[in-house]
Amino acid sequence: MKIQVHYDRCEGHGLCAEQAPDLFSLDDDAELIYHAEGAEVGSEELVRARAAIASCPVAALREIP
Amino acid sequence: MPQRFASSDAGDLYSRSAILDPYPHYSRLRAQGPVVWLERHKVFALPRYAECKAALLDDSTFVSGAGVALNPVTNRLARGTTLNSDGAQHDERRKLVAHRLTPRALREMHDQVDAQAGRVVASALERGRIDGVEDLATALPMSIVPDLVGWPEEGRDRLLAWGAATFDALGPMNGQAVRSIRPSVQMLRYAHGVAKDRRLREGSLGGDLLQAVDEGRLDAAECPKLLVDYLAPSIDTTLSAIASALYLFALHPDQWQALRADRGLLSNAINEVVRLESPLRAFSRKVAADTTLADVELPAGSRVLVMYASANRDELVWDSPEAFDITRDATQQLGFGHGAHGCAGQGLARLETRTILGHLLDGVERIELTGKPVWAVNNIIHRLEHLPLELIPAR
Repeated sequence: MKIQVHYDRCEGHGLCAEQAPDLFSLDDDAELIYHAEGAEVGSEELVRARAAIASCPVAALREIP
Repeated sequence: MPQRFASSDAGDLYSRSAILDPYPHYSRLRAQGPVVWLERHKVFALPRYAECKAALLDDSTFVSGAGVALNPVTNRLARGTTLNSDGAQHDERRKLVAHRLTPRALREMHDQVDAQAGRVVASALERGRIDGVEDLATALPMSIVPDLVGWPEEGRDRLLAWGAATFDALGPMNGQAVRSIRPSVQMLRYAHGVAKDRRLREGSLGGDLLQAVDEGRLDAAECPKLLVDYLAPSIDTTLSAIASALYLFALHPDQWQALRADRGLLSNAINEVVRLESPLRAFSRKVAADTTLADVELPAGSRVLVMYASANRDELVWDSPEAFDITRDATQQLGFGHGAHGCAGQGLARLETRTILGHLLDGVERIELTGKPVWAVNNIIHRLEHLPLELIPAR
């Protein structure tokens, strides 16, 4: 699966980065950085990736099969 | 095949007794099914987690623009607020309201909130025996939010009562809601005067709205409603979370010790507090087009009731949902809502709760109940009214 990030919705709450720190981080300006942009999420990251998607309070992350 | 929905006319979710002790009612509704018709309120209740979340995510079918209250009077009065709007109009309003409340913007406020939380806790510790609601849970948001909004000094003593009324009015048209209409209108009228006379500090959130009007980005007539958007939901709700945290840690001293031993649990502990004692009971949505939810057909024009507080105790999602356990992963709780209408102030609410608990962890060995806690009566906000406590200082 891939993750689509809606950057216009993202408000920088950072809950995804707590759930999946290898996939998401916030830079010094609290802008979201998604480290797997356009790429398939590796199988070892699937559980954390789904937790990150579910944790987003403004639903800015969507799973694309 | 579409399923028939369960139907319930037993008990009123909004009776005084159900407000004071809501959980048996939620539990009964969850057991009845994923969609339960409440004959008394003419609404499809969604008492379980999955349907609540699905409705919140599908914001073009389950719309807010026709109001999120259970009565038509408030739904008409609330037109023009961010809470009661959809799509592009909502996104635009939300940006106006939320851009200063995002965690991004709040970074600048961290030190100020932390220092204020330190003062509030120090003063409570000096007294030792306190009312956790008044002396801690109210003191912090009341010292942060009005300044942030740039609200004039003389209009501050009524903010808490006005905010509570604004929520009460979102219930069904019961006695509570009827009594709340007058103060809700007073608040709006006062906000109107404040905006008209430009009594909002420059550089504050309210000052930004005036500037947006001056630059033609906002209609002056919208200003008072946006001010109410800022103020009404920012005090009562945070108050609820902080007071419930104190209450739960007083009841569960082992959890307080676990948090003292590992501060890394703090942000999850806040999620767990909001899960277990969700400040918001429920809001409604109007069904914009015929749809099905959990195989139940919902006709266009009907209403659903998104029961955040019940979803947060759904046995299908949470193990031992009634247990307070700060080590469980409570990130997915719905206490702040979810999706497009997710709480815009949650970053600030988390910051206030985190800083006040942080200072308490520094100075307090144990939190002890010294009397019977009293819950407030409000259709929407679940919160303590009085919480007699003794703070036992750490040596």
